[in-house]
Amino acid sequence: MTDERFDEFLREQLRSYREPTEVPRDDMWDAITEHRSHRRTHRRPTWRYWGIGIAAALVIGVGIGRLSVPHGADMVAAGAAAEETTDSPVAFRLTTAEHLQQVEVFLTGFRADARAGRSAVAGARDLLATTRVLLDAPVQGDPTLQPLLEDIELVLAQIASYEGRPRSDELDLIEESMEQRSVLFRLHSTVDVQPVGMPIQGVL
Amino acid sequence: MDERELIARVQDGDPAAERQLYDQHVDRVYRLAYRMTGDDDLARDYTQETFIRAFDRLDQFRGDAALGTWIRTIAGTVVLNGLRKVKRFRQREVELDEGLERGGTRRQAEPDLKEKLERAIDDLPTKYRMVFVMHDVEGYTHEEIGSALGMPVGTSKAQLFRARARLREALSEFAGEWAS
Repeated sequence: MTDERFDEFLREQLRSYREPTEVPRDDMWDAITEHRSHRRTHRRPTWRYWGIGIAAALVIGVGIGRLSVPHGADMVAAGAAAEETTDSPVAFRLTTAEHLQQVEVFLTGFRADARAGRSAVAGARDLLATTRVLLDAPVQGDPTLQPLLEDIELVLAQIASYEGRPRSDELDLIEESMEQRSVLFRLHSTVDVQPVGMPIQGVL
Repeated sequence: MDERELIARVQDGDPAAERQLYDQHVDRVYRLAYRMTGDDDLARDYTQETFIRAFDRLDQFRGDAALGTWIRTIAGTVVLNGLRKVKRFRQREVELDEGLERGGTRRQAEPDLKEKLERAIDDLPTKYRMVFVMHDVEGYTHEEIGSALGMPVGTSKAQLFRARARLREALSEFAGEWAS
């Protein structure tokens, strides 16, 4: 058996490998334009602006501390005070980012798994509890976050409310909720994506 | 309309130009996403995300490569990252399933050649699989793969070679099919 023969055999076998029957051009285009227009009308500060805000708060906090507190041992207390004012939003931001990433992974796999008959109720309940804690947190700040968390809460509540596996009509409702609110799109846009290889022309 | 003009019109916010750009490239992006995932929903998600990013970042396209290559670079990133997330999720599910099935017997029909090939491709490491699908299934050149996945041409060739070797090993029980 030679490499050439195997390569030829492989080529023959691969002719029909996962051939999509039809590219759903119009459906995808509708979703893309809807998502983009939704973003245009709801454009608000992103995590980048959060970062700038936090950095600015730190600089101002440290500056005020330096001007108002005497030198020496008291400087330590001023530094600690500045840290304290920024600690909560930073912790909140990190916790939220991690949570959104978990929700994204969960919802990405949910549809296929539900169709394969695997129950996702327990996972949805865990994530729902965290979502509610984040919704109740006093330090949110980012106005895009509240509606996203509310939509996530709704979808997770739907999934968590089924005792067993959702029936196909129930599954349709969940999917409809996700699509109507562009939940996955908004999650993809919010959650940072790790680069794969070398960045090329500003892609990553 | 040439590519530069099309890009300029998209940047000016011309919806017809946006659609034209999308129509020119969507088939290859979707086909790649579908062949990598085997799932229509995921393929749609990845394709949509690719174009959303492309439109968002079109002002960063410098024109060093063809626009199609640049879009496929985004697609490569989106698909690979997406598959990693799905893989993490699936892994957790598999562990749960294995826990439930432990102790029971599991009968499975002997897969035929096509199933076995599909499974063997799915079992390849994600990057090998991406290179293999792009080259052997979708007909990309190593130069295009290198640009799209951010790897040297030599690495793309080496990964294709390894992917084929693994497939040959996985399909060894069917050796008669190609040895004859």
